[in-house]
Amino acid sequence: MYDAIVIGARCSGASTALLLARQGHRVLVVDRASFPSDVISTHFLWPHGMSYLNRWGLLGEVLAVTPAHTTVEVVNDGISLTGSVPVELLREYFRDLHGDDSGVVQSYASVRRRVLDQILIDAATGAGAEVRTGFTVRELIVEDGQVVGIRGRTADGEPVEERARIVIGADGRNSFVARTLALPKYDERPRCTFAYWSYWSGFDLGPAQLHRRGRLACAVVPTNFDQNMVLVWGPSEWSREFRADVPGNYQKALDFVSPELGEMVRAKGTREERIYGTLDQSAFLRPLHGPGWVLVGDAESAKDQCTAIGMTHAFRDAELVSAALDRWLRGDVSIDEAMTAYGDRRRSQNAAAYHDYVCTLAEMRPYRHDELQLFVALRGNQQETDRFIATHADVAPVSEFFQASNLFLLNDAAKESSADHAVFADFAETSRSYQQNMFA
Amino acid sequence: MTPPGDDTVTIDLDQREDGELIGIILAAARRGDFETMARTASEVSEMTRNWVTHIPWDDLASLDGADDELARVVEELTGMWEPAHLRNPVDPDEEYALDKNAYDFYRPAGRNLLTRTEDFYDWVQARRRTETWQYSRVLEAAPDSVAQITNDLGRRARGINFNSQDYLSFNTHPGIREAAAKAMHDYGPHSAGSPMVLGNTRISDDLEAALGDLVGLEHVTLFPTGWAAGFGAVVGLVRQSDHILIDRLAHSCLQQGARAATRNVVRYEHLNVEAVRRHLTEIRATDTRNGILVVTDGLFSVDADWPDLVTLQRVCREHDATLLVDVAHDLGSMGPGGTGVLGMQGLLGEVDIVMGAFSKTFCSNGGFVASRSPALKQYVKMFGGSHFFSNALSPVQTAVVREAARIIRSAEGDALRARLFTAIHALRDELTGRGLTCMGEPSPIVPLLIGNEKLARTANRLLFDRGVLAFMVEFPVTPTGSSRFRLQVQAGHRPEEAREAARIIEGALADSRAYLSSAFGSAPR
Repeated sequence: MYDAIVIGARCSGASTALLLARQGHRVLVVDRASFPSDVISTHFLWPHGMSYLNRWGLLGEVLAVTPAHTTVEVVNDGISLTGSVPVELLREYFRDLHGDDSGVVQSYASVRRRVLDQILIDAATGAGAEVRTGFTVRELIVEDGQVVGIRGRTADGEPVEERARIVIGADGRNSFVARTLALPKYDERPRCTFAYWSYWSGFDLGPAQLHRRGRLACAVVPTNFDQNMVLVWGPSEWSREFRADVPGNYQKALDFVSPELGEMVRAKGTREERIYGTLDQSAFLRPLHGPGWVLVGDAESAKDQCTAIGMTHAFRDAELVSAALDRWLRGDVSIDEAMTAYGDRRRSQNAAAYHDYVCTLAEMRPYRHDELQLFVALRGNQQETDRFIATHADVAPVSEFFQASNLFLLNDAAKESSADHAVFADFAETSRSYQQNMFA
Repeated sequence: MTPPGDDTVTIDLDQREDGELIGIILAAARRGDFETMARTASEVSEMTRNWVTHIPWDDLASLDGADDELARVVEELTGMWEPAHLRNPVDPDEEYALDKNAYDFYRPAGRNLLTRTEDFYDWVQARRRTETWQYSRVLEAAPDSVAQITNDLGRRARGINFNSQDYLSFNTHPGIREAAAKAMHDYGPHSAGSPMVLGNTRISDDLEAALGDLVGLEHVTLFPTGWAAGFGAVVGLVRQSDHILIDRLAHSCLQQGARAATRNVVRYEHLNVEAVRRHLTEIRATDTRNGILVVTDGLFSVDADWPDLVTLQRVCREHDATLLVDVAHDLGSMGPGGTGVLGMQGLLGEVDIVMGAFSKTFCSNGGFVASRSPALKQYVKMFGGSHFFSNALSPVQTAVVREAARIIRSAEGDALRARLFTAIHALRDELTGRGLTCMGEPSPIVPLLIGNEKLARTANRLLFDRGVLAFMVEFPVTPTGSSRFRLQVQAGHRPEEAREAARIIEGALADSRAYLSSAFGSAPR
């Protein structure tokens, strides 16, 4: 009998197991995959994601093999903004959500899952959690409507049954736990992006660059093995046509969004792996918990990749749920109180506002005139640029940036005008041309 | 399109993209070619196999004969292969109406000021068609605790009225109506002109004295609206090199006044007096020559809370800064003898500048600015443009406000406030007891937190037909993502009415949540 069984041993699962084991609980964590291995992911950690690793004592191990930076360049239709997530906002985030602001770091990194997930699993094992990989869960054991354990097969095909006081579904957007319990989906936002990416060597641009033009976007982010992740994405309505020639359209999208990056990749880059892609990124929530079970990470709330927030959110969930479960397992509170505490944080106003923010962004509509003017107004206003980046990354609440008096002030403080930027020259025509599917 | 390489092994086998491979698997499944399915699956990347764990990638060949399982796998793979929303049509009007915010239209494109407003208008029309536009409802009769209204599609409704700012129910008070009639008889409806010329009457002088008495600051200037008082006070006093520290949630007239007066504006965290102290220290470290105006509301009109004015005033004096407090919502409706938040904190006569509005408890239009300085009064009259260059309050308005001020200070005023707070507590207790979140402190404003705009707009649509008139506030009144219902209570509300309204609101919210299939609650963080 375990205190907790965690299904899924990646970002949310291994972290939850690690934290619960460190709190002295008996934890079993299982995963179908063998490790180290990759999984579809933008594998980006925003500074709060890195801060979680630091709080858990794992950041050094990650940084030993992974490049990290603090500033990020965001270019929207040629309007460039460079900034970083302010330490003060990071501290505020941790105080609000977790009650303490220790271990905050300002850097971000792109960590391959075959690197990161192994570090997390090793840490969970080191903390005393029992980790079984290559383990396939076949069913949940349910008694009197309560999940009490799992039945599955080990890597050798041996049937196994294990029981625990709580079963934690950390098994991603296609969660076995959620499917088995036939959990509904809420707050669905079907419009999403398609994304294709690969890994390139041969150049080093320093900090991450995010570019957007019309309905397409690309990112070049340095990652492990002296490679860059080069990712392109666009509206899923265009995915069918894009797919007709993936390598050709991948380069075509790069050339369109940023001719400089397109040329860099063509002239200097060597592609080190096949091109990967995903179309299935619609957003939804699931019920968070029920009798004998609780969900964390993508299993409870899946979102589009366009803000690259998934792993950071998985870490957040791990801290929230392990803190809540710890109080219950110690007997300080009832399971209902513990789950309400977790649920309040995860289904809050701020969470709803960010869900809407990501889903709206994922529709990849061309930026409107007023949105682009906001980016112009931000140029030269470093404090507000940084706050915008922090808002985009779900460090600062959407409500504090997108507030009328703030937007008025931003406008008034603008140092540049639309006259300084080419996209405004014939905006109506440009905007119309962006609506055309360039892969058709 | 038929994916290439159905049965052939391409040269760079391990470089094929997963989408292409899934296409091949689906085509093979249609042919019943399990061998190709299994062979192609082995080529699918580790990335995808580890992500899509509900597909038995290693066992596709064993699906031969297992029709149910094959159908499930084909359906799942198709779901990855075809964008979900193409299979999931929605009402485009409603999607547009619910997914946008007014700020999406703040900077329209184009050189033609007339035509570039049309995008916004399209959105307004979509909100109207879907009956989610909460603005511009009109009254069919004098509002009381119950009101009859028409929405801007011409549909009528009758409901318990939480939309009136008439906190002491003066609109139906015989004394108030009589004062209006008498002024009408004595002076007629027109104020002759600007108060700087001949717009004021003896009633105006009496009113200034009565207000001065109420807030303990004897030099009072009247303005034609509350908005004009706030805007006029700020732009009248502050110049470009001066500084303004303003609470993020202070009223729009003060925010816009600040923007118009100087670029040196700091919007400090709501109610945070320590933040004010920090900003003041910073400013005074580099600027000892110019003025600093600190601006806050007394009772905040959307959050129903108030600052520690005692400390705030002291901090201002320590840094040679001037404090301006807007008491529009609390003066008359709460506090000892109707003295509002100032009286509650023992600050009558102690605050540098007080402004207020007559549009709430005082049953009229208009506003005022008060201080202990006759010089400041004359200066604001001259340089606060909204005083000099507007027609004065009409004699009827000044007479109504004067009578309201008299009742507010009387025993009858105490009795009305007691009734008001009985209704406030009934409403808050019932809402809270039903698991909803009332923000702020007990006051005539009861903000019911909703959060998500879609939920609020949908609930607003339902409430219209269910007998509760409640104003839904969203951006730009509140920050995005923290919409709410602002329920304004009156002395005329019976406690049973308040409880009935709470029950109806809870039902509308539950139905809206079900309609939107939303799992989000309203806890702030």
